[in-house]
Order: sequence, then structure tokens, then C-alpha cells
Amino acid sequence: MSIANLNRPADAFEQLETEDGVRQGVCHIRIQQRTGRKTITTVQGIGTEYDLKRIVQYLKKKHSCNGTIVEHPEYGEVIQLTGDQRDKVKDFLIKVGIVNESNCRVHGF
Amino acid sequence: MADDLGLDLGKKKKSKKVIKIDGDDAPVETGVEAVEDGLGELNLGAKKKKKTPKTAGEEVVEEKVPTLEIGIGAQNLIDAKGAWPDYTYEEALTLVYQVMKDKNPDFAGDKKKFAIKLPEVARAGSKKTAFSNFLEICRLMKRQDKHVLQFLLAELGTTGSIDGSNCLIVKGRWQQKQFESVLRKYIKEYVMCHTCKSPETQLTKDTRLFFLQCTNCGSRCSVTAIKSGFKAVVGKRAAIRRAEEATAGK
Ligand SMILES: [Zn+2]
Repeated sequence: MSIANLNRPADAFEQLETEDGVRQGVCHIRIQQRTGRKTITTVQGIGTEYDLKRIVQYLKKKHSCNGTIVEHPEYGEVIQLTGDQRDKVKDFLIKVGIVNESNCRVHGF
Repeated sequence: MADDLGLDLGKKKKSKKVIKIDGDDAPVETGVEAVEDGLGELNLGAKKKKKTPKTAGEEVVEEKVPTLEIGIGAQNLIDAKGAWPDYTYEEALTLVYQVMKDKNPDFAGDKKKFAIKLPEVARAGSKKTAFSNFLEICRLMKRQDKHVLQFLLAELGTTGSIDGSNCLIVKGRWQQKQFESVLRKYIKEYVMCHTCKSPETQLTKDTRLFFLQCTNCGSRCSVTAIKSGFKAVVGKRAAIRRAEEATAGK
């Protein structure tokens, strides 16, 4: 084993885990386009020890959007929120300590 | 630190007042700042009111920014005699870089901007976007278009393909700046060396992992595999159900 990976050890581990599908500890926040200029935000990979229902409830109220939890066979429980809530969700998750800066990826443009 | 915060807020409040006096036609450039001001006010609203009388006095002291004459400063680095103002770390750093640049014009440490063409974007129908110079940009980045495409589609959470006239057609309405920011992300992750930021790199696949090998500094590091992850159902559910039923019936 060479010391080629001093920069990003976390990523190497992440890839080794992809065979199981679920990557523990890395939270992905994505955006998808719907019809017209509507969008949807998805949050994948929040630890199972957290009560997603309460998180969704809070986010819905706080950012005045709709939201739901979708069960996915590979990725576990995923939060869906209407509109582009990526930055707000990221800030919230980091603030309350559910994820930290390094294992939270915001995707999209 | 706390004092600094107080100072900033005091100043921000002042600038806000100015805007209010000016009326609704505040200059457009201050738009972003104004939004930030609003946030600051929300978070620390209560604190700020108490502090306002103090900040007026403190502000005057802050205003005296020490002026640095580059000419004298640069001279001092070579010849230590003569006037020697107190430099901050940043000032000393810029001076050192200036001297390094002057002495070695083709020094590699100089930040070379990695220029890339802007994506040419056009609407293709009402629900698709055409990205006409996609292949050209891939060539400029020296990356396989398949890899770039995979990343682009995964980031945007959409689908797309390259048509007969070498034009990328992506589902959804996209703007140039959106493609640009995704390409920027791609370059940061898969083109620029993570150690020295040089674009002179090669992307190689070793077993299941992609490695970024730098030809400039020789560093080699693994990069994240592209995975589109969870995709929400966004289209017409009825149509999807019909399609499923059709395949199940066969
Ligand atoms: Zn390098």
C-alpha cells in the first residue's frame, strides 16, 4: 500500500463500501427538475438513529414546503422536499450535528 | 472576535440605513450584501441594539487602515535597511510572492488559470436542452465524454444522450451557468490535481477505482466514483404504472 491517498482518505473508504449500496455516514443532498421551473430536493443517507419524521416536520414548517419520506431498497429512507432547499437543509443538518461539513455532499448546479 | 462581530454589524446597519433613505431604487450590486445584512440582523438582532452606542466610537479607530507602499516594501525584502513598516502576515506574503514572481517569470507556483470554453446552450423543444459544444469541452479537458456525461447527468439528476450531430441533449430546462457550475465541479474533482491544482493530469481506472495522476508533481490520489444515487419519481406516475403493467402482462 503506497501513501498515495493522503489527501482524501474518506473517499477511498466510501468507494469500498459502494458494493453494499448504502454508504454509511455520507449524506447526499440532490436536486431534480420537475415540470416547468419546479424542483425537488432529496436528502439521502441520514443515519438511521435519527427520527426522519421529526426532521421532515421541522423542515416543512421552517421552509414552507411540502415534504415526505420515501423508502428505497438500496438507499434506505430518503427525504423529499419540494423546491430547492439544498443549502437550507445542509445548514440545518450541520447546525444540529446530524452530519458534518466533510460528509455532506450537495449535488447539482 | 466578538468585538469584530459587533463592529461589522454596526457598519452593516449604517449601510442599510443609507439604502432605506435612497428608497427602492438601491443599486443592483448591493443586492447580495443586502441579503446578507438581513441574515445578520435576524441572528443577532437583540445584541446589536445594545451595542450601537459603543460602535460609533470604535468605528473611527477601525477606519485608519495602514497604507502600505509596495515600492518601499519590496525594496526592504532585498535590502533590510531603511524604513520598515509593520506588515501583516498577508501583506508580507504578497510581497514575497511578488519577489518570487519577478525573479522567476516562468515559476510553476504562479496560479495558471485553467480556461475552458463556455458551454453553448440552446433550447431543444420545450422540455429538453441542447449542449452543442459538449464534446469539444471534453476534448479540452482531456477526459472521456462518457465519464463527463455520467457526472453531468448524475449531478443534474436527469437523463440525456449525444445525438447524431455530436450535440448533447439533456432532459429538462437548463441554463448555461448551470452547466458551467457543474463543469466547474467536474474540473475540481476530476481534472485539477488535488495537491498542486495543476490541470496536467491523467484519469486512470485501476480495478474499480479511478485515480487522478498528476504529471506536474507526480501525486496520485483516488477520486470519488460517480453514482447518481437516489432518484425521486418526477414524471407522470400514471404513465409509469401503465408501462409497468404492460411489461408485467407480457
Ligand atoms: Zn500535482
